[in-house]
Amino acid sequence: MTKIEFIKVGPLVSIQDDGRFGALGHGAAASGPMDRHAYKLAAQMLMQDNHKVANTALESAGGLLKFTLEDANINAAFCGGQFNLKINGVSKEWNMVHALKDGDVVEVAPGASGNYALIRMDHEFLVPEVIKSYATNTVAHLGGYENRLIQAGDKISIAPASEKQSHHIQKLHNDENTPIRVIWGMHAEKFSSHVRNEFLKNTFVISSMLNRMGVRLMDKGNVFKDKLDLSLVSDAIVPGDVQILGDGTPIVLMRDHQPTGGYPRIATVISADLDRFSQLRPGAKFTFSAVTVDHAHKLLKSAG
Amino acid sequence: MNCNQVSDDNISINSNAEEPCADESKTLLVPLGDRALLIKFGDRLDAEINQRAVLAAKIVKTAKIPGVLEVCPTLVSVLVRYDPQSLGYMQLCDQIRMALSNLAYSGTPKRKKFTISVKYGGKLGPDLEESAARCSLSVAEFIKAHNGSKLHVLATGFAPGFVYCGLHKPQLHIPRRTKLHTKVAPGSVLFAAGQTAISATHVPTGWNVIGHTDFSNFDAADNPPTKLRPGDEISFVSQDSK
Repeated sequence: MTKIEFIKVGPLVSIQDDGRFGALGHGAAASGPMDRHAYKLAAQMLMQDNHKVANTALESAGGLLKFTLEDANINAAFCGGQFNLKINGVSKEWNMVHALKDGDVVEVAPGASGNYALIRMDHEFLVPEVIKSYATNTVAHLGGYENRLIQAGDKISIAPASEKQSHHIQKLHNDENTPIRVIWGMHAEKFSSHVRNEFLKNTFVISSMLNRMGVRLMDKGNVFKDKLDLSLVSDAIVPGDVQILGDGTPIVLMRDHQPTGGYPRIATVISADLDRFSQLRPGAKFTFSAVTVDHAHKLLKSAG
Repeated sequence: MNCNQVSDDNISINSNAEEPCADESKTLLVPLGDRALLIKFGDRLDAEINQRAVLAAKIVKTAKIPGVLEVCPTLVSVLVRYDPQSLGYMQLCDQIRMALSNLAYSGTPKRKKFTISVKYGGKLGPDLEESAARCSLSVAEFIKAHNGSKLHVLATGFAPGFVYCGLHKPQLHIPRRTKLHTKVAPGSVLFAAGQTAISATHVPTGWNVIGHTDFSNFDAADNPPTKLRPGDEISFVSQDSK
């Protein structure tokens, strides 16, 4: 049986697929890759090399990932950010497809940029389907390997992917230094125009508190120092929502968000920028800029 | 760019007065990012507003608008997820308006009735006494009042199978706790804000934990994975009274 054996893992290693869409009404967010762009890019790279593409992929964050292969002869695309890849101790190029064989030891260490590495193969992870998806939801504890994050010592069977996929070529991420674009959120009007202006003018910093559920921001400019209306009725959350906690801390909600929440939300990061945002590391500084829904849709169309 | 963008995109469903629909002028369509919109029926939790949201979700779902991926009612709104590659925002707003105005809100939707057996108090209901006292009731009176409440499932949310049921009579309205329970068991019966919620998984909660039920509203292996639907009728019965 072909297997991947995990020797070392960081705190955020999980199996993902396109996502568990349609389960919000049952109380679970869709999850899926934090960097969906990397997930699609990996498929495209495998296809260009004429390999089949698995729906399931491995996502790794938070430290060194080291695994070995048992009884294997596979091809894997390594994508997302810029990580340091070694196969059997030899440095290999990132953002590239590499052939892996029985006994190979693969190491993925944090490199020049990015939080989430994405490894997609021509083999599927053999894990049970949970509500029509294999994606791990780390908050609802659903899907992936035993409904949890991967731990050192786990041995997971894989099998050849069955289908060739037809993904369109995606444009690469736009410049890392451009603002993160948002659409004003469902509670934007609950913030004064002064606060909304400051929200766009000030620089925010990614804090060290980030995971698949959300990214806490440091609000150095004290944009959200004033008391907020905390008596809101719980309402639907979508990935990218920027919510403000009672103490003024802004959090950008990510793929494993709770389906509903009651904190005020000033804006929502647009789809075209959410992958790039997920890869911003603790300490990274950025600003927000506001766009219209139409503009966000045009960006998606131009990305294909 | 300022926040007026939000109001520009807002459309009152009732803008055409000729077309009666069961919503009031407060109903708004609001973008929620670039892949979803929210049909908002109000800002405060109210049984009637909730019913309107539940009904509107059914209507929009039934309309099967091409490009709409998911329709999900919440306490006072409906989330509509769509594929922006095949459906523009304004186009979607028009289609939703049409669906809500053409289809009658008449008739009561099919509702299932559930009676949930609860073990009040004890280790799995540590806040029972305090909750009763906050309602100025004895524990026995509180359980009787809680059993006598005719509730509806208002929404599923927060966590898998987690349901909000309401609304209780004003006498039974107490606030959330100031101290969080970091993890309560699946089947915890939670009480606050005029509602009773039931957890189906381990969750943290700021609500008062008044009891426990063996009823489980979530099993990932089931299709569908949850039993309760918004609108279903719920009443609670004390296990001890059986």
